[in-house]
Amino acid sequence: MIWLSWRQQRLETLIIAALLAALAAAFVPAGIHVADLFAQQHLARCVDRQNEACSFAIGNFANRAGFLRSLVEGGWLNLIPGLIGVALAAPLLLDLENRTIRLAWTQSVTRRRWIATKGIVALGTVLAAGAAFSLLFTWYQRPFDRIWGHWDEFGFEGIVPLGYVLFGLGLALAVGVLLRRSAAALVVSFGAYVAARLFVQSWLRQRLVAPLSATWGLHASGPNVSHAWVITEGPSDRAGHLFSGSSNVVQSCARPGPNGAKGLDPACMSRHGAGFTHILYQPASRFWEIQGLEFALFGGVAVILIAFAAWRVLRTD
Amino acid sequence: MSAALETHGLGRRYGSHWALQGCTLEIPRGSVTALVGPNGAGKTTLLRLAVGLTRPSAGSVRVLGLDPHAEAAEALPRVGFLAQEHPLFGSFTVAEMLRVGRELNPSWDDEAARARIAELDLPLKKKVRSLSGGQRAQVALTLALAKRPELLLLDEPVASLDPLARREFMQSVLEAVAERELTVLLSSHILADLERVCDHLVILAAGRTQLAGAIDEIVASHRLLTGPRDEAEDVARLHEVVRASHVERQTTLLVRANGHVYDARWTVHELDLEEIVLGYLGQDAARRREAVSA
Repeated sequence: MIWLSWRQQRLETLIIAALLAALAAAFVPAGIHVADLFAQQHLARCVDRQNEACSFAIGNFANRAGFLRSLVEGGWLNLIPGLIGVALAAPLLLDLENRTIRLAWTQSVTRRRWIATKGIVALGTVLAAGAAFSLLFTWYQRPFDRIWGHWDEFGFEGIVPLGYVLFGLGLALAVGVLLRRSAAALVVSFGAYVAARLFVQSWLRQRLVAPLSATWGLHASGPNVSHAWVITEGPSDRAGHLFSGSSNVVQSCARPGPNGAKGLDPACMSRHGAGFTHILYQPASRFWEIQGLEFALFGGVAVILIAFAAWRVLRTD
Repeated sequence: MSAALETHGLGRRYGSHWALQGCTLEIPRGSVTALVGPNGAGKTTLLRLAVGLTRPSAGSVRVLGLDPHAEAAEALPRVGFLAQEHPLFGSFTVAEMLRVGRELNPSWDDEAARARIAELDLPLKKKVRSLSGGQRAQVALTLALAKRPELLLLDEPVASLDPLARREFMQSVLEAVAERELTVLLSSHILADLERVCDHLVILAAGRTQLAGAIDEIVASHRLLTGPRDEAEDVARLHEVVRASHVERQTTLLVRANGHVYDARWTVHELDLEEIVLGYLGQDAARRREAVSA
């Protein structure tokens, strides 16, 4: 039974393995390169300290990190966990669509056992692939994270990729048992995966735990947010109400700064009662808490979707 | 000992349409039964209910004394099933299909399966999807037989095959029956496919059982009577009239006789099985016409 489950998803598993191998072939050398660079530039001393020499070294490091960096920062890799989950749903859906499921169900194993075995093998595969993905990028990101904190590439690190692959699998299975057409189901569920990820990333994630805020005046200094996730930051009044870039105050206090960039005149801002800075942020210490919550969110929805698909399949004629 | 297959008022509804309704029949063990009826008569539904792929909407079904759904774990190993489209995993080789059978069936007879495949000259390393329809049917039958079922259900097994492959397939079924105690129920909308191998017959039409019994008894009891029209009612009192047609003052009756028909006023013809089946199916068509015009 385990052999059959494996054999039926062999093609998809090999495709995913090849994809991960290609990523590893690109990012392992790149990871070694950035780790060497980090050591060469003595950046370890800059992790908790900021000065001109460090700024220069960090800038140098960022410039020489390699072209793969743009792939990471572009967010395209966020598609990979979804691809893994959706791909491993394909053999199960094809079995339903081609009615070969009837062949399996008229041998000597019961439907429950069949579904359980298929499910466990598929889950094991996506989790292993998700873990490989997360390990590769958690390792690759280490020098960047030591400088800027873990938040930038939140979705590649820690345990959330496991939640994403489960979600991709569950979504494709649930859509598949409803649509009964595999190709359409895979396309629809991958689109839904992307939409769900974008929604969580741009709106929900920062609200999973109420963010911290701080407001401080011209001559005071704010909290250390060098490794924190800064959600919003800008000029504000004493109460912490932000002034947007298009507000009259900001418009009238804008002065041409060095290098042609515009800066705000502090004295002008003060006169208008806007001499404060307000910040909304998640501190570095909350990284694992928010990872846990987002993993639980995607994993929990995945469990519901998978259970729904199994229930529908059990009741299929 | 319980019957191989026993149904009571068995029905299955899809939406508002009854694919099978009020089906009551008993297939004795050791029989080879033809399940005959026009397309859409409920043959596939009946077989799928018997193997537990579908749950009844009404009535009950038992295979080898077991509920095929609630007692699937006990019933499944003892029932072989071959669906009409002969489902196999297209990307698997023949050898891998045999492995599927071995992995999924504790009672799997690997030696017999390999011997069959060798005897049929089927290439073990070839992918299933590159086989001919006849070869695929034989692989599917091998799978169904090698699990050593007590009851073998075949749904339109030869419908998609050419005449030569049909003959070979039916020969394989006959050999399997000769080798060991095996009850077979096989469906077709063409009687000629089945007549040679079957000893029992079930006629299913419009979702209901029209006739069920041993073929020799069926042939022995059915007669075609031709006689005066005004005395048809007397016949109906004694015998079961399956179908009546009238021409002026003369009536032709297909009857299932209770005992012998002795009546000087009626000419009695014997019928072969095909004529009897056509009589029942024609009756069904006539009823449907009545239903439409009424």
